[in-house]
Formats: sequence, C-alpha cells, structure tokens
Amino acid sequence: MKIVFTAKGKEWNSPVDPRFGRTEYFFIYDDEKNEVSIANNADSSKEAHGAGPKTAQKLFDLNADVLITGNGPGENAATVLNQTGLKIYVGAGDMTIKDAYDAFKNDKLPLFKAKK
Amino acid sequence: MKEIVIISGKGGTGKTSVSASFAVLGGKDVIVADCDVDAADMHLLLKPDYEISEEFYSGELAIIKQEDCIKCGKCKDVCRFGAINIIENKYITDPLSCEGCGYCARVCPTETIINIDLNVGNWYISNIRTGSKMVHAKLATGADNSGKLVAQVKNKAKELAEKMNKKYIVVDGSPGVGCPVVSSLSGASYVVLVTEPTVSGLHDLKRVYELVKKFNLRAGCIINKYDLNISVTREIEKFSEKEQIDKLAKIPYDKSFTEAVIQKLTVAETDNKIKPLLQKTWENIKNKINETN
Repeated sequence: MKIVFTAKGKEWNSPVDPRFGRTEYFFIYDDEKNEVSIANNADSSKEAHGAGPKTAQKLFDLNADVLITGNGPGENAATVLNQTGLKIYVGAGDMTIKDAYDAFKNDKLPLFKAKK
Repeated sequence: MKEIVIISGKGGTGKTSVSASFAVLGGKDVIVADCDVDAADMHLLLKPDYEISEEFYSGELAIIKQEDCIKCGKCKDVCRFGAINIIENKYITDPLSCEGCGYCARVCPTETIINIDLNVGNWYISNIRTGSKMVHAKLATGADNSGKLVAQVKNKAKELAEKMNKKYIVVDGSPGVGCPVVSSLSGASYVVLVTEPTVSGLHDLKRVYELVKKFNLRAGCIINKYDLNISVTREIEKFSEKEQIDKLAKIPYDKSFTEAVIQKLTVAETDNKIKPLLQKTWENIKNKINETN
C-alpha cells in the first residue's frame, strides 16, 4: 500500500503540512517495500490560482492508495480525487508524519467525506 | 497553536472590527494575519509599524521586446483579453489587461515575447500595540488577491507563531467564496462566521458555509447588528441550529463601532457596551477550540 502525506519536510519527524493544494512536499511511504520517497510540490504552490487541482493531478500520477493530510482538499481538488478511489484521511494537521502514520494504523484518523 | 479564521461571505458585516478586537483581547497570545488583501483595512485599526517588507510576485505579464518585433500582429489577433495595443506603431502589452496566459508568446514567429513574474505588491511583518506581531500585505493598483498570497501571509504568521511560542493565530479571512477564501480556510482550527441580519447577509453566510463544510471545520456564528431585523436574525439562528454551528454572540447595533474606527481603535479598547460582549465571545471561542482536543 502506498501512503502519501502532505508534508513540510522530508523526514519521519517532519510536521504534516495541514494544507493540501499548497503543501511543500509529498512524503510517500510504501509499507510493503518499507520504502520512503519524496515528491516536491513547490511548482504547484507557486500557482496564483488553482493549486488544488494541480496537486490532485500530481497525487494521481503518484498512484497512491491513501492520502493523509490536515483539513482535506478543497472542492475542486476533492472532485478530481473522488474519481480516483484514493482514500483520504484528515485531522493530522498538528502531527509529525510518524505520529500521523501511527494514528492512521490505529484507526484514529477520520476518513475525509465532504458533507453534502 | 490554533488558527482561528474569521470570514463573513458578505462585506460590511463587521468582520474586520471583530477580528481586530480579538487581536487586542488575545494580546500577546495572538499573531494576527490580515488575509483580506483586496481591501485590507485592519492596518487602520492596529497601526502596524511595517518592520519587515518583502516584494510579492504572483501571476505573469507578457513583455514584447521591441528590437525583435516584426509587427506581424499575430499576438494582438490571438489575445482574448484585448491586452495588446498599438501605440506609436509599436505593439505593447497593457499590464492591467494581460492575464499572463502566454498565448501571444506561443504564436510569436520571432519568439520575442517573454512572460515575466509580476510584482503585485508587498507583504509585511509588523509590531502592533498588543505586544505581538501582525502579518499583512498591500496590493499594487489593479492587482488581484490570490490563494498564493493568502497562503504566503498565513505561512509567515504560522512560522512566527511557532517561533514566538504563541497560542493563537487570528486570521481576518478574505471575502466571497473564491480561491483566496479556500486558501484562508486551509489549515484552520476553527471558523468564526460574522454575519448581519439582511437578506444578502444570510444568503452569503449560507454560501460560504458550504465551503466550510467541505473542509469539515467546526464553526461558530456571530450575528452583528442583530436588532436591525429580528426576523432575519431568527432565520440565521434556525440555519445555525440546523447546521450545528456554535452560537457565539448576538451583538446589537451600536455606534461605538464607528466611534472606535474614527479614533483608530478597536471596539475592545474604548468604553462601550459591546466590549464585554466581545470579551465573553473571545473566551467562548478559546473554550470551544480547547474542547475539540
């Protein structure tokens, strides 16, 4: 399973970036291979407008199974991501990546569902 | 550290007066971020000192290098914003109309058009009389607020809050429901909706709350000038109940808002009957946020 965190840094003890569209990095953990990789999102965060959908596209290209973030994506990005089958977990905005991973493993993070 | 974002949907409801009052009531515990950059006016109440100033770039502008221009007019033909004019037999872009889309550069046969990053204003870190700091920005004439600028202001505020060990960031959010508001809400801990009992006040409250719901954020409502139209006030209360929005305060119409502005002060600093109400509301918000954890 490929788990992606919106991240402010490149280490397990870096904080989760509570923003989705303008997150600094994606911290990508493949728990089957026990491998960590990093994707830089600086180009999307430089967009004046429409950073969310652009970041969603990038996430789609990463072929992730799970996204862990702060409040969750905005409406435009959520519309894109809802088509992909990606599972989005929120509420990790104050945590480090390590803590967010543990919380996710213990079913402590709520699943993102846009209220109608 | 918790981020409190204050939005209204509609303008003129008292959002900035309330935000600035919270900044004063929170004092040293609060970093203030003014993200209402299109029509920033919090500086009138908090008198920042512009200690640090940085240029801000957002969007692009097409520049036609005259020496290589063969005056074929292709750029002018394809520009859908009417941003290319012929002035004294030269093709020149109008910075106010150009959207930086790059179409002209793509069709230019001599590749003489380049896009440059557009300096749209400055952002600042200032000291304010609360004993804390304020992050704010000023746009150049004709420039647009953007999600990027709001993110920049909020990120700086967050950095400061972490460095200075502050408990709260109070964000004066952007108006409307567009990109800057989405950017204001992103990363928030709690949302304060400031509204007024008018038809457009309620309409815009509902519209902006749709957005708040997308982020699954907890929100509370302040009905300002509630006694001006009791029946719309009731409608707002019904809406808040249905949506489980915290009832934070009902503030009566009072001239002290205007009188405070004239003295360049917040309502929380002059002697009036609104002040205790706002004090109670601020304490209430802090309790609600700390409950969430």
